[in-house]
Amino acid sequence: MIDYDSQLKIQAYLDGELPEAEAQQVAKRLAQDQDAVLLLSELRNTRQAMVNGQAPMALPETREFFWSKIEREIGRQESPQPAPRRNSMLAAWRRMLVPAGAVAAVGLVCMLSLVSSPGPRMETALADSGAFTYRDYNSGATLVWLSYPAENEFADSEPAGTVQ
Amino acid sequence: MTEKDYSTTDDQTLVRAAQKGDMTAFEELVARHRDKIYARAYSMVRNEEEAIDLSQEAWVKGWQRLAQFQGESGFGTWMTRIVINLCLDHLRKQKRQRSESIDAMDEESGGVERQMPVVTVNPTAGLERGELRQRIDRALGQLSHEHRTVLVLHEFEEMEYKEIARTMGCSIGTVMSRLFYARRKLAALLVDLKKDDLGMT
Amino acid sequence: MRDHLLSVRLLSWLLPTLFVLGSGFSQARAADMKLEVQLLWGTNDKQSPDPKHRPVDDDVHKKLKELPLKWSNYFLVNNKQFDVSANGTAKVPLSEKCSIEVKNLGHSTVEVSLFGKGEKVVGRTQALPKGEILVLGGNAPNATAWLVILKRLE
Repeated sequence: MIDYDSQLKIQAYLDGELPEAEAQQVAKRLAQDQDAVLLLSELRNTRQAMVNGQAPMALPETREFFWSKIEREIGRQESPQPAPRRNSMLAAWRRMLVPAGAVAAVGLVCMLSLVSSPGPRMETALADSGAFTYRDYNSGATLVWLSYPAENEFADSEPAGTVQ
Repeated sequence: MTEKDYSTTDDQTLVRAAQKGDMTAFEELVARHRDKIYARAYSMVRNEEEAIDLSQEAWVKGWQRLAQFQGESGFGTWMTRIVINLCLDHLRKQKRQRSESIDAMDEESGGVERQMPVVTVNPTAGLERGELRQRIDRALGQLSHEHRTVLVLHEFEEMEYKEIARTMGCSIGTVMSRLFYARRKLAALLVDLKKDDLGMT
Repeated sequence: MRDHLLSVRLLSWLLPTLFVLGSGFSQARAADMKLEVQLLWGTNDKQSPDPKHRPVDDDVHKKLKELPLKWSNYFLVNNKQFDVSANGTAKVPLSEKCSIEVKNLGHSTVEVSLFGKGEKVVGRTQALPKGEILVLGGNAPNATAWLVILKRLE
């Protein structure tokens, strides 16, 4: 029966963690003690199994989706003060929704409405850092637009993917 | 504005660009190393959603600390260290909320691994790689997180005892005894899985 | 005397009427809602490659045209009608991975949550009078869009 300290030294010998003098002592023991050899063999087999058994794994999210979350969080942490609502909503609007030719016109209408109408005909707000809201009182429609990447679980429902 | 194509740029150049604030370069680094970082997180926390969240957090921290990366190791290795530390913090928080596992109690009360009979037959000999990976994965899932962590850090990350001790916040002696217990336990689990296979249990 | 009798008769008619109207009103305040949810695909293509898709209804299309959306055509991928009782919640699957949850808060107000892969993607609380729509949307590949329309029917 090998004492516990010696068992640990056999392991450290296998891992190359022993100082030279102690390594030589363990080697000497291994030359004489069959139990020690068997223990070393078991530890070595287990180590080898671990090294060979490391399974490669793919992160189960698309590149764009995963990055969009990181980018958003970096942006959130770097800009703790929210940007002025008017500027940010116009910028988000232009970037995401409307063809370039109509941007100025729509933006102007929105600005005028916000400034001059007695009651709001339209209303825009940033619901949270990932969503943009637009309300049209005349048509009775509210739009909440998510700054999601193009590949997402909702888009999977579209013609290219499975459809219910 | 045309987006730069960094797909053929080496990591070192990407890191330098990212350190100057080029997010496109950083995004390319994320794309290249995300699977490895995720795999490391998963191997430690064994939960897909948590591993994704921890990976994401690691990347955000990586961006924030980019200036500190001096190329002393590969970028992937540097990022792996970040996610490992996040996983350890996460596991420590969970441990405070959960009761100790039997493994951990076994190890701390001491002794069981010292008396376990030596496994004389290599329980993974002859297995195909895929099967071996499955068995290792199943066996690792049955260890406590301390034992799994020490195995992952030593065998997968090839860390020395001293570095593992620093990372896990314990003594080298504790690393050695945890590693010993983990290996012996793993050997026994692999034998059991082999016996299952042969219909012997 | 006649005036007094008239007053009594008037009151005897008026009070129950007011009571009925009042109770009806309070019921309307905490009324069940009948809603319809539609999952749409927004595109500039004239047709959807999926023959099961049909163009969205005119009334919805008209409302979408008033919003700052750049697509000219919208196709119906899936739709469901459902009821939500007063102070109740209904969860409706939209696709394999996505669902919408609607809570009836009373006073024609709904709390809407959109879930993708079990995770809440967005929440919105607002009034939704009859005939109005709430549109939740985002980008889809190839410069198209997905939209979830919540429409109050009753």
